[in-house]
Amino acid sequence: MLALLSAACQRGHSPGERARLVFKYQPLWGDPAPLREHLARFAAENPDLDLRVETLPNSTDLIHQFFLTALEGGDDSFDVLVADVTWIPEFARAGWIADLSDGFPPDGLRAAFLPGPTDAVVLGGRTFAVPWYVDVGLLYVRTDLTPRAPRTYDELRSFARAAMERHPSLAGYLWQGRQYEGLSCNVYEAIWGHGGQAPEVGRRILLDTAAARTGLLYLHDLIASGISPPLVTSAAEEETRRVFQDGRAVFMRNWPYAWAELQAAGSPVRGRVGIAPLPSLSGQPGPGTLGGWQLAVNAHAPPERRRAAARLIAHLTSPEANLLMALAYGRNPARRATYADARLRAQAPMIADLAPLVEHARPRPVTPYYQLFTDLLQGEFSAAISGIRTPEQALARAQRQVDRLIGWAP
Amino acid sequence: MGTVSRGAPSRGGSLAAERRQAYLLVAPAVAVLAAVALYPIGAALWLSLHRHIVVFHERSFLGFANYRFLLADARFWSALGHTAYFTVVAVSAELALGLPLALILHEARRGRGLLRALVLIPWAIPTVVAAKLWAWLLNPSYGLINRLLGGADINWLGHPVLALHTAIVVDAWKTTPFVAILLLAGLQGIPEDIYRAARVDGASSFRIFRSITLPLLRPALALALLFRTLDALRVFDAIYVLTEGGPANTTETLSLYAYKTLMRAGDFGYGATLSVVTFLCVALAAAALVRGLGRGWEEAR
Repeated sequence: MLALLSAACQRGHSPGERARLVFKYQPLWGDPAPLREHLARFAAENPDLDLRVETLPNSTDLIHQFFLTALEGGDDSFDVLVADVTWIPEFARAGWIADLSDGFPPDGLRAAFLPGPTDAVVLGGRTFAVPWYVDVGLLYVRTDLTPRAPRTYDELRSFARAAMERHPSLAGYLWQGRQYEGLSCNVYEAIWGHGGQAPEVGRRILLDTAAARTGLLYLHDLIASGISPPLVTSAAEEETRRVFQDGRAVFMRNWPYAWAELQAAGSPVRGRVGIAPLPSLSGQPGPGTLGGWQLAVNAHAPPERRRAAARLIAHLTSPEANLLMALAYGRNPARRATYADARLRAQAPMIADLAPLVEHARPRPVTPYYQLFTDLLQGEFSAAISGIRTPEQALARAQRQVDRLIGWAP
Repeated sequence: MGTVSRGAPSRGGSLAAERRQAYLLVAPAVAVLAAVALYPIGAALWLSLHRHIVVFHERSFLGFANYRFLLADARFWSALGHTAYFTVVAVSAELALGLPLALILHEARRGRGLLRALVLIPWAIPTVVAAKLWAWLLNPSYGLINRLLGGADINWLGHPVLALHTAIVVDAWKTTPFVAILLLAGLQGIPEDIYRAARVDGASSFRIFRSITLPLLRPALALALLFRTLDALRVFDAIYVLTEGGPANTTETLSLYAYKTLMRAGDFGYGATLSVVTFLCVALAAAALVRGLGRGWEEAR
């Protein structure tokens, strides 16, 4: 306890004349050396700065909790922070993250970065964060069990059923239906795939729409008709990935991370898996949910440290850094041009193949209310897909609760 | 009692002085308690009277509006129901299983130390680790449990009725050893000569258990009941790891609802209201148990 206290006291005094700059991020899987070397180059170019990195817990929930309490309490002990794609409007509205428009003008950002992540970080014509790497929901297909990737929901169902008739032990389509944020991503994709906007964010956040009812009904019917096994109602990413990797399913909705696992040496489905955009009602590629992390600057930090922090963000989101994150850590670039880079094509062709998918990735509703209502929605989405309530009942309940919450706010 | 034992002539003045000294001596402890226990409770109570959403920097006094909303909040009532059900079923099961376990541990002659250590293993594993372990065991597709049931396709944590009961089983697995060890301590406090006397009188084993063991074990049973009830009413970690309250909030308990409202949504006002109500439920249960059990103790003597 005393040691902790004295350590905390010492941290307050910067050694010598150099200003301390702290980068707070969540652990990246893999060898820490490449990122460390990349940061060391920044430190070498900025000898006036004492660059420190501090890691956060490896849980989105806990990171949000940490920032909520630290930033609300005015904590200025860190300068550059990572933020999930849905947090930017919330943090910006709260005044916790600094306006970065001077260093990263919205137009410049829009020209260089993918549209989805740009929409998530440019709010009211001001830039509040810079995309670090992106994620997108996509479809994994067993190429040995299907003629080709399904484009429509009908094809998804009929291809799955045909394969299941030939191999009765197979599950058809796996996705994430546990009551958590991943379920929201799956539901939004189903709504977008049916041509809806979800939810519509205006003065009122409109959840209870025809497209939302259709999307939820589609997910519910997948389970009810046996195309998706009951286990999806308690499954998150890893639960579905393992079943698919065991060779026990025809299709799976997941994030790009699963690719490396499925194609690893010893994987039963190695060489028999393809990726495709999600299917849709019309046959147009269905948009996947945009995920991924952004870098922002702590608004509580003094101005000179905020400027240094913006320089660090530029260093961490440069084209070179995008390539490094893709090659060393399998993180998908947020910059459009990186997908065409010859080195990426040669060394990580799967990531290069994601170009059309990330181009159409859609952010979840970009609103400061997001964290406030997503938890309410998850409970109702879960009720609808598992058949406890009809989509109509579930959405009506969600709408009432959200109206209560938002109706209070200005 | 202090004055008497000192043997000094009891004069009014010294008694008052002594009382003053006593207050001075306990003051630091009271101050620490007030700072770490009373102040946060008071602050939460005060916060619960506000609308306070951190993102919007909104903090306005509402009076009891949060409490009025709570009374009409279906999610609150179902969370309260789940918490009460979880507590009653889990604690009953733990006592029902913990007592025989304690008796076996008490009677075991050979390998006693090893047996006790083995029994304590579930209790020694951190709850989050144990819950994660169970989540994999219970996985419908490749978990050990379904495989042991001959390839049954039971979705333990995804079925609205099964999920809460599964969480109860995991909690019972985890905390029955704790109950057993508490009861074992009680058993070891019963003097051996009472048993010998009973056996001389020709009492049957069942009679000995009913007339000697059970009544004399009552304080230990009461303690186990009290500890476990208060813990179960605040259950959070096991359920958070197993289901996060799903499916459709059918496993959501009061602590989980309060946590989500506070830390995910950032609705501090209503989150504080939920925390205060959880605290009141726990305090009421504690008071009722202590009263009821206190009476039991008197009777037992």
